[in-house]
This record gives sequence, C-alpha cells and structure tokens, in this order.
Amino acid sequence: MRHFRIPRNYYGYFFIAPFIIAFLIFGLYPVYNTIYLSFTDATLMTAKVNFIGLKNFERLFADNFFVTAVKNTWLIWILNFIPQLGIAMLISFWFTDLRLKIKGVGVWRALFFLPNLLMPAAVASLFFSLFSYFGPANQILVRLGFLPAAIEYLQNETITRGLVVFIQWWMWFGQTIIILMAGMTSIPVTLYEAAMVDGASAIQMFRRITLPLLKPIMVYIFVTSLIGGMQMFDIPYLLTDGRGSPSSSILTNNILMYMKFSSSKGHIGAASSVGVLIFIMTCVCSLAIFYLLRDKDK
Amino acid sequence: MKKKLMFLFSILIIASMVLSACSTPTAAPTAAAKPTDAPKAEVKPTEAPKAEVKPTEAPAAAPTAAPAADKTVLKVWSFTNEIKTMAIAFEGLHPEVDVQYTMIPMTNGEYQTKVKAALKTDDAPDVIALEASFVKSYVESDFLADLGSLLPAAEAAKIYPFVIDVGTADGVTKAFSYQATPGALFYRRSLAKEYFGTDDPAKIQELLSDMDKFTAAAAVVKEKSGGKTFMVASNGDFQNLFFANREQPWIVDDTLVVDPMVVKYVEIAKTFRDNGYEARANQWGEGWFAGMNDSLVDASGTSQKIFSYFLPTWGLPYVLAPNAKSKDGSKDTTGDWAVITGPLPYQWGGTWLGVMKDSKQMDLAKEFVRFCTIDETNLKNWATGVYTNEYLKKIDPTTPDDQKQAAGDFVSSQNVVSAIVSTFDNSDLSKFLGGQNSYGGFAAAAPSVNAKLMTGADDAIQRALNDPIAQYLDGKITIDEMWANWKASVRNEFPDITVP
Repeated sequence: MRHFRIPRNYYGYFFIAPFIIAFLIFGLYPVYNTIYLSFTDATLMTAKVNFIGLKNFERLFADNFFVTAVKNTWLIWILNFIPQLGIAMLISFWFTDLRLKIKGVGVWRALFFLPNLLMPAAVASLFFSLFSYFGPANQILVRLGFLPAAIEYLQNETITRGLVVFIQWWMWFGQTIIILMAGMTSIPVTLYEAAMVDGASAIQMFRRITLPLLKPIMVYIFVTSLIGGMQMFDIPYLLTDGRGSPSSSILTNNILMYMKFSSSKGHIGAASSVGVLIFIMTCVCSLAIFYLLRDKDK
Repeated sequence: MKKKLMFLFSILIIASMVLSACSTPTAAPTAAAKPTDAPKAEVKPTEAPKAEVKPTEAPAAAPTAAPAADKTVLKVWSFTNEIKTMAIAFEGLHPEVDVQYTMIPMTNGEYQTKVKAALKTDDAPDVIALEASFVKSYVESDFLADLGSLLPAAEAAKIYPFVIDVGTADGVTKAFSYQATPGALFYRRSLAKEYFGTDDPAKIQELLSDMDKFTAAAAVVKEKSGGKTFMVASNGDFQNLFFANREQPWIVDDTLVVDPMVVKYVEIAKTFRDNGYEARANQWGEGWFAGMNDSLVDASGTSQKIFSYFLPTWGLPYVLAPNAKSKDGSKDTTGDWAVITGPLPYQWGGTWLGVMKDSKQMDLAKEFVRFCTIDETNLKNWATGVYTNEYLKKIDPTTPDDQKQAAGDFVSSQNVVSAIVSTFDNSDLSKFLGGQNSYGGFAAAAPSVNAKLMTGADDAIQRALNDPIAQYLDGKITIDEMWANWKASVRNEFPDITVP
C-alpha cells in the first residue's frame, strides 16, 4: 500500500494559500471587474449594461477635468512628500544618532505620530472651521493687525491647496519617521563605529552608510506613499464641498472618480475608467521607482 | 527568474491595491499602510459623531424584536429613526408582523451607497425611505414597485398634490410621503420693528412679497443698521426659491436647460454680495447658526445680526429653535421670531417611502406605506404627539427611551392638517414665534408649492453650480466663465447628458 504523502517542500504553499485565495477574490477579481466595467456604460440604477469600447476614456480627455485631477494629485503629493521625507529623515537621523543620544525618543516619536491617529474627517472639519470666513484664523489675524480684512481662505486656490498639503504632511510625517527609524536602527552599529574610528563626519556617515543601506526601506516608503498619494481622497473631499472647490484646485483623482460614482445614477462605468487610468499611472511610476532604486550590484 | 516572478507578483499585489481600494467601496479591505495619505476611500467618518447624537440609532439598527417564527418579517431601511416610531405603531395594529428596522445615516451619501449596493440582492429591504435629494432618481429607476393602487386612498386623504408629484415618474406613482415640506421665511420681530416700524407678519409679508421687494428691503436693513444687520446669512439661503420656481426642469430631452430663474438667481446673489446684503456665512456652517442667536461676530470683533432665514417646515423644530440660544446661554432669540410665506413659494426636503419591486411581502409592504403616509389616524397621531414613549413601549417594551415623536411635524394630508391646525395655537413652537401658529402658516403656503420640475439629476447639477457661483461672486471669474465652468462640470459628471 502506498502512502499518499505531501512532500514537505510544499507545506509552505498551504500556509500562503489563505492569503492567495483571499487576494484572488478580493484583490484581483475587483481589478479585472473594474477593467471590464471601464469599457461599459454601467450605472448602479439601470440593469442594462452596454459595451461601449473606449468611449469612457475618450470622454475623460474631452474636457480638462481628468488632466486637472491628475495634475492636482501629483502637485499635492509632491509638495507634501518632499518635506515629509526630508523632515522625517532629519528627525529620525537625530533620533538614531549615536553621538546625540537624544532623550525621550519614544515620547517624541509618539507625539509626531499622534496626528495620524485622528480621524481624517475630524481633521478636515477642524481645518474647515478654523479657516471659515467667521472662523478663528480670521478673527486672530485681523485683530492682531496681520490682515486688513477677513478673507475667505477656502475660496482661495493656493491657500486651500496649501492647507491640504499641510494636513497631509502633518498627518503622515510621523509614520514615515517610524518606518525610517526602524530601518536606521536595523543598520549594524559596528559600521558606524568603524566609520567613527576612521574619522568620518556625521554627514559622511549618513551619505555612505545610512542612505545606501536604507534603500529597501526607501523603496517601500516611495511606493506606498505614491499609492497613497495617488488615492488621496478624504481630506480634500471633506475640506470643501467634496467636488474639489475652489475652482477644482483640490480635485484629486479619487474625488473625480467618486463624483462620477455618486452622481445621480451612479455611473460606475465612467468611474471605473478613471480607476483604470490611475491604476496604469501608479503601476508605471511604481515600476520606475523599483527600477531607479534597484540594487545595481546584482 | 524566480526572483523576477516574485518581483512581478509583488508589483501586481501593490498595484491591485490601487484599484481594489477605489473601484468599489465594498472591496476596500486589501489596502495596506500608505504613509502619505489617509487610509483610503472611506467616505463616512463624519457620520460617527452624528450618529451618536441620537442614542436610539444604535439599537435601531438591530431588529426591533426577536423575529418570532410565526411572524411575517418586513424589512424597512431608513436614514433617521423617525419611521421606526410609525413601524412600532404599525406592529401594534398588526401583531402578526415583525418590522425589522435598519437605520443607516445619510451623511456623505452612506445611506444612498448602501441602498445602491443592496439593489438586486437578497439583502434588499422591502420598504425604503427616500430623501428629497435622491427620491427622484429612485422613482425614475426600475427598482421601485408601482404604488398606483394607493392613489384612491391618497385622494381621499387629500394628500398635497406636489407630494404625489415627487413620487411620480412617467405617470407611475412609486413613492408617498407622510410629510409635506413647504418652505417659509422666518424673520426677527425686534429687527423688523426697528427697520420697518412693524413686526406684523401680514405687513412684513407685503413688504417682502416678491424678490425685487426683498432686495429693496435688504437695502433698507443695511442702511438703517449701518451695515451691521444682514438680510440673509448666506447666498445659498434663497437658492431653493429660484430653483423651485423654474419653468423647465434642468434636463429636457437629455439636454441641460438654463432656466431664466437660474439666471435671475445668479443676478440677485451678485447684488446681495456686492451690496453687502448677505453676511457671507456658509449655509450649515458655524457662522450661519451663530446668526440665529445674535452671536455672530465679524473678524474685527463687531457684532452682526441676521434679519431672516429661509427654512421649511422641519427647519423650525430641528434647526431654528434649537439654535436660538447661544452656546454660552448669554443670548436667546426665542420668542423674537415670526414666520411668513416669503417672496416665492418653495419646498425643501422631506422623506418619501417606496416599495422595492422584488419585495416578497408586496401586499404587506404596500400596506405599511399606506399606513405611514396616507392613514389619517396615523398622520394625526404623528403630528399631535400621540406617539409617546409610553404609547410605544406598550406595543414593544424594547423601544428606546427617546423614540417618541413630539407634536409639530407638518403632514402630507390636507384633511389632517385642517383638522389639527388649531391645536397648535398655544404650543411651544407658537411661543417661539411670538404667538404665531406656524402650522397655520405652512398650511397656507403648502397648496402653492410645485414640485413637478424635480428630477433625479437635480442634486448633482445644483451642487455643481455652487463653486462657479462662489468664484463669480468673489469677482475671480466673469459670468461667462462661471457658466462655462458649471457646464463643463455637469458634462463631466453626466456622460449621458448633452450640454449646449
């Protein structure tokens, strides 16, 4: 009698099977369904679905809403990502520096991370109230003489965009600090000790040891941040009227998609076409990041 | 090779997060940590605080009673806990029925999204509540059952015609409402005396009987107050009036129509902004509410007052009365208000009930809608405060403590309205209005309301106009640019509409 035995080498597949199955159903299937929907005129309120080819995509480029949304999303993401990474890098470098030995690192880290725990909705409505026409920002600035008269902050494109950038930065730089610090502390201390013995300066150690060894972490931060940035939604959605006002200055990709999804009939076909284009854009850019930050030695 | 495959696979996983998080709101759980950005397309966080305002809502989501095996289950979905009160009363009359009531808040469209997602599935309810802003899109769709069999009963109860018009598309009536929500104009008596020499509603109505007079009166208010009192708090306040009095709907033959009334609205809004007749508050914003109790203070610290607010029936008990006292209690405008019809008749808001076409309890569901929206006894009980906690607890002991319906909602049946109007002569609300019977005022305004123009696309089209108008009023763009921006935005949102 032969025993049916599973070769030990395949055990691993059983362990990863739950994830793969869940991924196929909840991850991959929606992707393919979205791609399928983007070629149809499907709405939530009508049962009939017609195949309309590339019409949804043609419509996206017929007016400048989509282009505006893409531009806005990139602009807001880049303006928030550069200071986010820069400041997070600086702070985590100080926190992990052997010479500085800053006290209470855990407390600081928690404080910096704290904004991230707030509900985006609460943050958005907080800023909406602060910067409304009758809000405290106007009251304080006018009474202290910084402004001659009250202004409508959320009717000004630059200020509104700036607020979104600031909120995104404020909410997420703590998270980046935590990831960067995790990466930095995993670099063997011996390398720094050796460098110090050789008389390397802090800047040299940062450039020659920290940065190269942080590369995998950097790839992670870049890619997750890019995906998050391309999907920026809740803050710009809730800060003004949910349509990217004033003058579509904070209209992001996802707001545009949601507008199409939530309009009277629920045009999910048209919304999917936006999703597919964001998908392609994010894929290409992620691949580019992987390529640019690849391990060149191997 | 293997490494490359793994690499590609990891890209695929990451990339699919992009799509799965956004393609359908239900498929979100795959998304991972995203440093730059907030978690993902979670639209609803704002609802949490709102839902907590009414403690009843949490238990309301659960079935009202353990579904007994011998009871017929009727599933009802709504966005407030109001209809639950009537559902309990319905159970009192039909002990064999178990109404399973589900409350989903409407903030930021959560309710609408959940209902849309449940359409055509087994989870779909039998009866759904539909708010004015989206009732038409359902009435126009294929999802609601024909309720034409209830029309004779509705006629007998003299339901206001505009209430039925809203629930009707292509000659088929699919939804009814227990409310009628005619709009009115609320003004401050003390300020009226100061600027117009009288606070008599009849005389003030004469002074404000059309929009030109209203504008002229705004000038008087500004002049006599030295610019410290504004006619209205925001330019959105009188938007409904113009939209309700258009000659044509927004969309005719799949083409966008700009009615002269819309043009007129923009004109008047510009006049109000340029001349300082409006306080530049945000409708539903803090400043807007502060104006109701005189606690509005401009940036330089000067106290400002608002002369009038356009609000419908529900605006009095739910918006104006609760905000008439300032937060620190130092200012109170209770008793200083009066109500008139205002320059133009309009209606604003309201809840309709419809039956899903695939409901397996069709007859029972229709009976439920009839009971809630047409049954005169129920409507009378509803409007006069008969549904107290004790009343409801007798039927269902698990009823939450604040499920009661206070007197004062303006109901859809003219028979009931005329029968009960005198009972409001000395109510709390009439004291709020300096002795005026608001129910009588609404009864006078309701017959002239016209809702024939409402379509499912209204809400999105009107909201698309807000930002271009704000830009235009601020002087940032010209009026032509305003129209162009608005049209582009409508074109973008409605792939199936021609925009000239």
